[in-house]
Amino acid sequence: MDLDFTIVLRYYDALLIGLWTTVQLTMVCIALGCALGFVTALGRTSKNFALRAITGTYVELFRGTPVLIQLFWIFFCLPLILGVELSNFISATIALTLYMGAISSETFRASLKSVGSEQLDACIALGLPRSVQIRNIIMPQAVLRAVPTLLSNCVSLFKESALVSAVGMADLMFVGQNISNNIARPVEVLTVVAIIYFVIAFPITRAVTFVERRMLIRLAI
Amino acid sequence: MVASSPLVKMQSLHKSYGDGAVQVLKGIDIEMKPGERLVVIGPSGGGKSTLLRVMMGLEQIDSGSITFAGQPYVSSASREKKTLIDTEVRRSIGMVFQHYTLFPHLNILQNLVLAPRKVRNEPKASAEARALSLLERFGLAAKARAYPAQLSGGQKQRVAIARALMLDPKLMLFDEVTSALDPELVSEVEHVIMQLADQDMPMMIVTHDMWFAKNIASRVIFCAGGVVVEDGPPEQVLGSPREERTREFIERVFHIKQ
Repeated sequence: MDLDFTIVLRYYDALLIGLWTTVQLTMVCIALGCALGFVTALGRTSKNFALRAITGTYVELFRGTPVLIQLFWIFFCLPLILGVELSNFISATIALTLYMGAISSETFRASLKSVGSEQLDACIALGLPRSVQIRNIIMPQAVLRAVPTLLSNCVSLFKESALVSAVGMADLMFVGQNISNNIARPVEVLTVVAIIYFVIAFPITRAVTFVERRMLIRLAI
Repeated sequence: MVASSPLVKMQSLHKSYGDGAVQVLKGIDIEMKPGERLVVIGPSGGGKSTLLRVMMGLEQIDSGSITFAGQPYVSSASREKKTLIDTEVRRSIGMVFQHYTLFPHLNILQNLVLAPRKVRNEPKASAEARALSLLERFGLAAKARAYPAQLSGGQKQRVAIARALMLDPKLMLFDEVTSALDPELVSEVEHVIMQLADQDMPMMIVTHDMWFAKNIASRVIFCAGGVVVEDGPPEQVLGSPREERTREFIERVFHIKQ
């Protein structure tokens, strides 16, 4: 078998555009998903039964089904039910945001639990209003504790985002697959695509260890 | 306020856990005069810490009420089974806990200025200036930018006291503040509390340290089984108690010490 990796260089531009789409989509879904995840975690730890039921159902549904089904469902079924056309970028964003929200809410839920009741006692003894307790004490501590797991969640999302190629979104995976089909060089092209994903994901997984060691130990939280 | 009127007046405080299964406070009536330093001693589970937590509004009560400087601020609305707390009045009271409870993600200075900034809208510069002078006074000026995890237990507890003082409390509650400390760190914390006593800060202290109790108290209360068993000057309660249960407790504690 004759391997020629230089051939991939010719499609450098297209791959870069695909990567940019992947990165954009991932960043948007991370930002929206984390916010959704935090609010969902607050709902799941709430005293209100209805809130707990709604957020719990959402999280379990999205944790318990394949991302590909979620994506297809939102791309194909949701427009039928709502009667509106959704672009593949919008439906991919909705699907991945909901997925990120579900997995990160579990991360936030664990970190919220780890903010001890003693911290709340201290807040009350200092007369801090509830909004200040959440904004200045509970949220920063919960977020800091969640950072290592959240980074892993982000890496998962970045990798899972390759699924959006299945609804025709021109992300890195989609572009790579097209090039490899067109020039019939699957080994070279798909290997390079895999390496690109790895080169981005690997430093983030390493950062998890770094964050745990440096930041969390210094603050002992 | 008339000088002889009580600073704190607790009336018939009742508290139980688990729908009345375990009664922790079975009718506590204490009047504390301004300038008094009340030390509460007694066996574990006797309701001492619960009493302080109720005073701080950290625990619900079944019935009873507390007034501070004549203003009622803790009362029970029996129909709703809910404790009503006047947070404005409560802000006159500061509390320090056994486990420091500093905010780990904020440095020492930030720990001190958070409440004055957020509760009283004090300007940053003035809050920081007050914080630094308090830290200076407690020998912690060099630690202003350090994080709680970088401090010893004794330092953390002194910071916790400084943090409570930032709100200019009219009464300080100390809940077993030296119990979690290594023995060699106890005195630095007690020394700071002594300083406050010298400035006539009214305080209520729960402690197992009888030496400290003897030195700081203007009045000692022995609490056991959810009631006040004995109440009097330190020489009486710690020296020659009138009640049999107090005597047994004091003997046991001093025996362990020797």
